[in-house]
Amino acid sequence: MAIPPAPGEKRLHFEPTFARGLAALWLLTWRSRLTWRRAPMRVVQLLVLPALLLIITPSRSGWSDGNPWAGRAPKNLSGFNLRLRRENLEISKEQQRAVLAIYQEEYARAEAGRDDALVGTEMTQRRTEAMTACHARVIERVRALLSPERFPLFEKFDHDLREQDKLQVGSWTWGRTRGYYHGLVNLYFSLVMPLVCVAGCGAVLRDELQADTLGFLVTRPLTRGRLLLLKFFAEQAWLQLLFLGETLLLFAVGAVRDVPHLGALLPLFAVTQLLAVAVWGALGLLLGQLTQRFLAVGIVYGLIVEVGIGHIDTNINTLSMFRHLDSLLGRDTALQSVFQWPLHGVPLSVAAPLLATLVFAGVAALLFNFREYHHRGEMQK
Amino acid sequence: MSTIIQGGELSRWYGMVMGLNNVTFTIEAGLTGLVGPNGAGKSTLIEIITGQLQPSSGTLTVFGEAPWNNPAVLRRIGYCPEGEAIPKDLRPLDWLTGLALLAGLGRREARERSAALLDQVGLPRVHWGKRMGQYSKGMKQRVKLAQGLLHEPDLLVLDEPMNGLDPMGRQEVANLLKQLVAGGVSVLISSHILAEMEALCQHLLVLNWGRILASGAQKEIRGDIKNWSEELSVRCDAPERLARILFEAEVLLGFDLEPATGWLHFRVRDAAAFYRGWTALLLASGVRVYEVRSESRSLKNIFDKVTTT
Repeated sequence: MAIPPAPGEKRLHFEPTFARGLAALWLLTWRSRLTWRRAPMRVVQLLVLPALLLIITPSRSGWSDGNPWAGRAPKNLSGFNLRLRRENLEISKEQQRAVLAIYQEEYARAEAGRDDALVGTEMTQRRTEAMTACHARVIERVRALLSPERFPLFEKFDHDLREQDKLQVGSWTWGRTRGYYHGLVNLYFSLVMPLVCVAGCGAVLRDELQADTLGFLVTRPLTRGRLLLLKFFAEQAWLQLLFLGETLLLFAVGAVRDVPHLGALLPLFAVTQLLAVAVWGALGLLLGQLTQRFLAVGIVYGLIVEVGIGHIDTNINTLSMFRHLDSLLGRDTALQSVFQWPLHGVPLSVAAPLLATLVFAGVAALLFNFREYHHRGEMQK
Repeated sequence: MSTIIQGGELSRWYGMVMGLNNVTFTIEAGLTGLVGPNGAGKSTLIEIITGQLQPSSGTLTVFGEAPWNNPAVLRRIGYCPEGEAIPKDLRPLDWLTGLALLAGLGRREARERSAALLDQVGLPRVHWGKRMGQYSKGMKQRVKLAQGLLHEPDLLVLDEPMNGLDPMGRQEVANLLKQLVAGGVSVLISSHILAEMEALCQHLLVLNWGRILASGAQKEIRGDIKNWSEELSVRCDAPERLARILFEAEVLLGFDLEPATGWLHFRVRDAAAFYRGWTALLLASGVRVYEVRSESRSLKNIFDKVTTT
């Protein structure tokens, strides 16, 4: 081995800065995670949710075939025949064929004007108008076909049919994209993302402890608080990239399935996601400092604060980060018409998650200044 | 010599378990060996010195300051932990570069410094492209040693650095440590390979059950141990006669004979008194001595002695 430089004569200039520290931990983070050995598992993890959304979101043509707007003509004829039989006023086969043809033709006209790009209340309104016009045309055409004693029966039957359709109008707001929006918002944004962030940032030190490599880091010439924050930022960078990739994949699935308005939603979703990853990651970092069971505690926290307190109709619900994040997503009219979130002002919706991130991460760094980790025996003393 | 580490009534416990028990000591500049069986408190002491643990009571200073959460002190300490733990998914150059950046070097300097140290610790360049999870024990030890030297420390703390190294590797590490010490770096080394510690360290700190049993220069420690039994082996032409003469002189604690080879192995009660009369006894016996061996002044003997007293 060659003689190293004498320590009294230091040649190198050491200047630990935050930027250098961040570059260091980012290098150590991504280099250890982007390996060929881990690549297949990472790809599978990334593709699970997009594949799920692809499955549960029907294509435009598939949805049209399975869910006609106006109804089913043969079923209508059967229902009308039943009422006529009850009154002993059956109509001839020719008349039945004519009624069936009228329904089929008018339904086809209504289907021709169908616009699946519409969502929410706009879609509901347009569809209600189309249905009303369709039934009015049917009534007019059938009037000339039936005898005076039979026509009122038909009017009553068609009126009932229309009322039945109106009851279903509420469910039309979801329409074909119901599964996609559920997956994107309720599953991905509100469940998977918080859990992964809490798990990832909660384990930034515990992973090192389990690998018995923490000693290499805490003996470097920087304060413990700064080290923890650097680890947090490096993990954040990793998670932000991971979720950006996942979001692009999910939106690509949406594009493949002709989900409307996604182009307008993407920038807003990406910005909101940026805040969400930061705040859930900081929460994980803090919980990781407080307990080994940080994920379980994080779930309990979510149930109490986000689900429980977040739904109380007083100002205390400001503590819920989901309220602020949803409020931001609610700026997209298509999403808002579907989910009907309560909206706050944009400054509050942005400031609250940012402030929470600073508080969570700051307290975690403060705690780490006093907390010891010991690799032998128990995990944490 | 200047004092670099000073412990005052230092204790450290883990719940009910005592790691260090009210120890007071100083470690001077130079090469110091930390000796003790498993559970003696060596690693606890090392982790307090390197700022990973805090004392439960008492004080410990390194270069005059407490090392816990103190970048100014940590800047002067290099640490090489025991065990094989190392980031297995990283390549050595990336790992060292990251740690050098963390210590405050620029990107280019960090890369160059890392490469230079990998060369210095003798890790062949052909292995630099592999992830460290594929490394042998010896290769891991070399990389760990390199990371300890990254920021040109004034004190290098090594916990069992010879583990996994072949004899040639051990000699290389020993030479490197001697060169570091010659250059003004102090080295604190913990090892269970006592023969190497004996050859390497001028100073010793002997620990057992969380207490310091002996500390100081090897010679001083030996001098401190009074009435220690001496073990000698003598090859001669009449081992039985020599045994009888020694027995009659009342200096023996016990003996073993090997008549076929002419060896007499014996332990004496009072080494100092024995050596004063040894030459006269030998002349009076008329026994012809061909060879004398003594292993009792080895570090192992000293260690056994102090840990059992």
